[in-house]
Amino acid sequence: MILLAARNPIIRWSYLVEQSDRIQGAIVEHLQLTLLPVTIGFVLSAVLAAIGLRYRWTVGPITLFAAFLYTIPSVAFFAVLRTTALGTSIFTVLIPLTGFTILILVTNILDGFRAVPAAVREAADAMGMTPARRVITVEVPVAVPYMINGLRIATVTIVGLVAVAGIVGRGGLGNLILEGLRRQFWTPLTIGASLSILLAITLDLAYYLLGRWLTPWSRTRRA
Amino acid sequence: MSALLAQRAVPRETTLWEWFTDPATWSGSGGIVVSLGDTVLLCVAVILTSTLLSVPSAAYLAHRRLAQVSSAWLVNMGRALPTFAVAALLVPISLRGGYGFEPWPIFIALTLLTVPPMFLSTYVAVKEVDQAAVDAARAMGFTERSVLLSVELPLASTVIFTGLRVASVQVVATEPIRAFLGGDGLGRYIRDGLGQNNATLTIGGTILIAALAGLTGIVFSATERVVKPFGVRRLRTDRGPRPGESDEADLMEVPEPGGGDHAAAGRVR
Repeated sequence: MILLAARNPIIRWSYLVEQSDRIQGAIVEHLQLTLLPVTIGFVLSAVLAAIGLRYRWTVGPITLFAAFLYTIPSVAFFAVLRTTALGTSIFTVLIPLTGFTILILVTNILDGFRAVPAAVREAADAMGMTPARRVITVEVPVAVPYMINGLRIATVTIVGLVAVAGIVGRGGLGNLILEGLRRQFWTPLTIGASLSILLAITLDLAYYLLGRWLTPWSRTRRA
Repeated sequence: MSALLAQRAVPRETTLWEWFTDPATWSGSGGIVVSLGDTVLLCVAVILTSTLLSVPSAAYLAHRRLAQVSSAWLVNMGRALPTFAVAALLVPISLRGGYGFEPWPIFIALTLLTVPPMFLSTYVAVKEVDQAAVDAARAMGFTERSVLLSVELPLASTVIFTGLRVASVQVVATEPIRAFLGGDGLGRYIRDGLGQNNATLTIGGTILIAALAGLTGIVFSATERVVKPFGVRRLRTDRGPRPGESDEADLMEVPEPGGGDHAAAGRVR
């Protein structure tokens, strides 16, 4: 047992140097597979939220549809697309990941625009702003903290799910984790898992700082 | 390691219908009955554990208005933890300790997944209870304990229960990763289907998991109606924010005093 532990430690540090290209590649792929679905998801959600705000009756169906997408078990979603014509193409991973972001983003964007006090909106109208100008200069700034919050939760969630996408061979750091499990060689597993946790925490912090930087007024409002 | 034990091979030509109607699919150690049992057992254990860990503590802290900032931080940090990575990281540690592949790594990871949202929804729900009701109870001589147990918790119960339902569906939907961590459960069919390039197994497993997740949501929605406190059932439902709306809300953002005004502003539109 002790001998075994010596041969297969939780982490063998030399692996970091020997396999540095692979690890870097995995990090880059993980980041791409995180940021791409979140970006696409944000654009789709903005459109859906705009529809919801314009035609209020659509909010229910949109939320229901987004909630349905969100509850599809990730493992199942990836695996089923793998059996279709999409195979191991990037879409097998991108479609589920994008789908998982919609609920979080739409809810937060809608909350953001609903947070605009009616008096503020009326004041903007009374000042003679066109609706488009009112939305851009008055409503969007109010909604920004909510949007950032949505992006933050969505990004962190997707970082975790990209690792699961490793089961269809496109999971960035998840590939390292699964390789480690398959070969029962703990070094790639530990590196893949630790780095993906680190990535999630780093991105979480980055959004927090971005939010503070974009909305300096919210800092004083808190008190 | 059970994953390596060869199960009765399912030929690729087998159709879904044939697979589901074959009695051998259901029975035996790798059958649906046993796998479903494994999955349900783990999910129930996780949900009970995280309810006990999060609801009482969140309710108490919210009642006392304690730890607002630190719990917001904890919840945010907890939410950033990727479940699969956490479970994987625990596997070698569990093996070293002689506890095997299962069930501790996946149990701990799933519990960490559900505690933050449940804590958050309970905290916000108790905190958002109409202050007038709480003041009235105090004025009537309720002890702080009774205020929490007989006023705040019943009034918050709808939102707490919604949080519980969302978290439980999340657990059922995430549990299949266990099959890729040296365990079994319903995820085994997806794992084997992918490994053997057998679409029937993959899709069959997906149907089972999706059905269980859907059923979980339905069971909770039904239970919600039954266990709703009598007094709360008589309240008009159109007052205040809709339950569940605070799901993804930030602890530090939402509890603004103007919360009610947002709803009003929405209606004016």
